[in-house]
Amino acid sequence: MTKHTYVYVTYIVSTPEKVWEALTDPQVSVIYWERETVSDWEVGSAWELRRPGHGVDVVGEVLESDPPRRLAMTWVRPAGHAGVDMACRAAFDIEDAGGKVKLTVTHTDLSDDNLKGVSGGWPAVLSNLKTLLETGGTIPDPFSAR
Amino acid sequence: MANHTYVYVTYILSTPSKVWEALTDAAISASYWERENVSDWKVGSEWQHRLPGKSADVIGQVLVSDPPRRLVTTWEAPSDRGNPETSNRCTFDIEDAGGKVKLTVTHAELSEAALNDVSGGWPAVLSNLKTLLETGKTIPDPFGSLGNRPKT
Repeated sequence: MTKHTYVYVTYIVSTPEKVWEALTDPQVSVIYWERETVSDWEVGSAWELRRPGHGVDVVGEVLESDPPRRLAMTWVRPAGHAGVDMACRAAFDIEDAGGKVKLTVTHTDLSDDNLKGVSGGWPAVLSNLKTLLETGGTIPDPFSAR
Repeated sequence: MANHTYVYVTYILSTPSKVWEALTDAAISASYWERENVSDWKVGSEWQHRLPGKSADVIGQVLVSDPPRRLVTTWEAPSDRGNPETSNRCTFDIEDAGGKVKLTVTHAELSEAALNDVSGGWPAVLSNLKTLLETGKTIPDPFGSLGNRPKT
């Protein structure tokens, strides 16, 4: 089976530290992602993507953690999850680009179904992250149009 | 073969009419793209993409114009019109998604070199468009520091 890679780049008027915090602090991630990103973010630790009131969507292991520059982890479905199986990895590269941050999300080892899912998901998640960091507000019902 | 396609989706707190205006108004496009998009935007008309006061980087034809929902144009190098190796096609789909706009840019018929160029360019252009429409401001030096000046 062919494995796919999905890449999304966005530029955000912010700092690398604030982007790192938004990706790794469950109280911030829940605002724009409707999910808590939970871990101690040490290499080898577990991480979870939790949807409050709906259980855990994704689990995995932290592969790289270099705050505030790079974070990489595996993405797997927890046992018994009803969603499409995934055994993939995602990396966040956060570059200070002079008054703005270049954020690159690279999601690899994707099946056809995974590619379809993340191609719908990342633009909505990352558009809302950018809106939150630049305006303090969020996009209404951010995942309704996926 | 010029058969690559690049797709970028962004959600913007705005209205379809404002997104359409930002794509088709020369003064607004210059503020986030550093280029004026100039045309009467009628099907069959020419459009130009040019640095203010200079000659065009890109010219082409308007293929579909359905304001504020859909705009399709060809992109050609002014010095190389009609060459299928350097001409390509760009579609903007603007969808009202309930308090936000889903903007999908589909740039098709790209050579490998053009795919590389637009993969660097579109994220910078569309990030700045979103910032402008949501905050009224622009990203500092949006194409400067990373060598991502938009090209065709």
